[in-house]
Amino acid sequence: MTDIKDMLSVPEAKVDTERALSRLRARVEAERIAPVRGRASGPRGFGVNIWLKGLAAAATVALVATLLTVSGVAETILTIFEPKQLVAVPITASDLSGASSLGAYGTLTWTEQPKPYDVPDIGTAARDSGMMVLVPSNLPAGAGMAHYGVMPKTTATFTFSADKTRQAAASQKRTPPPMPANIDGSKLFITGGPAVVTIYQDGTAGGTGASGATGASPFSGMPKLIVAQGRPPVVQSDGVTVEQLQSYLLAQPGISPQLAAQIRAIKDPSSTLPVPIPVDMATSKKVTVHGVEGIFVGDSTGLGSAVIWQQDGIVYGVAGTLTEQQVLAVANSLH
Amino acid sequence: MEVAERLRLGSAPGPGVPPAFEDLFRREYPRVVAIAHRVVADADEAEDVAQDVFVSFYRKHPAEAHYAAPWLYAAAAHSALNALRSRARRGKRDAVEALRRDDLAPDPAQAAETAETRSEVRAALARLPDRSAALLALRYSGLSYEEIAAALGLRRSSIGTLLSRAEEAFRKEVTK
Repeated sequence: MTDIKDMLSVPEAKVDTERALSRLRARVEAERIAPVRGRASGPRGFGVNIWLKGLAAAATVALVATLLTVSGVAETILTIFEPKQLVAVPITASDLSGASSLGAYGTLTWTEQPKPYDVPDIGTAARDSGMMVLVPSNLPAGAGMAHYGVMPKTTATFTFSADKTRQAAASQKRTPPPMPANIDGSKLFITGGPAVVTIYQDGTAGGTGASGATGASPFSGMPKLIVAQGRPPVVQSDGVTVEQLQSYLLAQPGISPQLAAQIRAIKDPSSTLPVPIPVDMATSKKVTVHGVEGIFVGDSTGLGSAVIWQQDGIVYGVAGTLTEQQVLAVANSLH
Repeated sequence: MEVAERLRLGSAPGPGVPPAFEDLFRREYPRVVAIAHRVVADADEAEDVAQDVFVSFYRKHPAEAHYAAPWLYAAAAHSALNALRSRARRGKRDAVEALRRDDLAPDPAQAAETAETRSEVRAALARLPDRSAALLALRYSGLSYEEIAAALGLRRSSIGTLLSRAEEAFRKEVTK
């Protein structure tokens, strides 16, 4: 022990905290770094939020992928995306860091805003969502009481705008490819949900368990177990061509050529839900859940894992601070 | 528990560094630097790592979060180990040079030898699995078993065993 203490010893360093704080202030100012708004939601909350933010960022990618089979018939409302299968799309931080959000290409108008709320029991969750809510018969050790939340059906309309795209690009000193005339003003009708999320806290004393802050993991801070199910998103369009959308959206600044190639490689984009895998932090593989193909995602620290699959028109996900074996056991025990 | 709250996403731009974050910074900065310094053995590099760690926390987490300290400690260890590994990739000469900057020994020959030894020890640390290296970094920076457990998301009762294994693995790496 002492030998290691000696080996790892370092000369005492003088730390000037105030000078360091000034340096941080200057960096925050120069790089226009914004702090998180709102109160702390606990160590379990931040991990989930990071994960959800990742999915939100990837939603832009998913949308790009889903827009690729739009028919050329103008002024006809077409269902252009209704996923029946899942595919893993590896993304890196740099794939998305420079990508503009959807808001840079037009206007998103919510007709039914996403407003998740807590419900007291599974019966209310089932009634409010209109879905049969599955429960695991195999709960991992340490999973505490279940808490339920419902995300009602959400709908939105997205209208492409060449003007808005130009302005957004100019403010970022970027030059995107010009928006084709028939994309300008065209509309997408997006429907998501309803969904039910069941969270099982870590029921062990202190509640720390494996859900502490490991910083580098997308699962850090996650509750012991999360079970989610929901109707997958459906996108309809009033008509633009596949070729135009593909060449336009995948050529945008910030979307890496590798990511664009992966999305182009999806064989049937109109019925495939791309599941973004943050390859810097997690790995994925195909697994079988309830007799159908699903995607297993494990983080590189081994502290968390998740599995996602689709069956009978509903997307299911199980995630938590669990091993692969545990998470698959929970998933297969849902009934 | 607030399932709904977990489903909402909430970050937005805001001006200046909030006072609560400045308090957190003043409270934890020395310890975050100490953890990073223990790993990289270079005071300047340790301060760079600490800056990145705080900026990363600032972007994603509210300063009042009660998990702030363990998050920062874990991030300091992991970020410093990453820095160490990229240094190792640059080659031994660079690694020794980096550590010489940090040594105040008056005798240049002795300073060179100390820097070389320290560089070899860090190279061994960099070869360990991430969790083992982080355990050693946190423990030998003075964190208690409770603090290490909270930072690395491990059970308090398993820290002793994991630490012993990490120490054994480290000794083997150093003598390789």
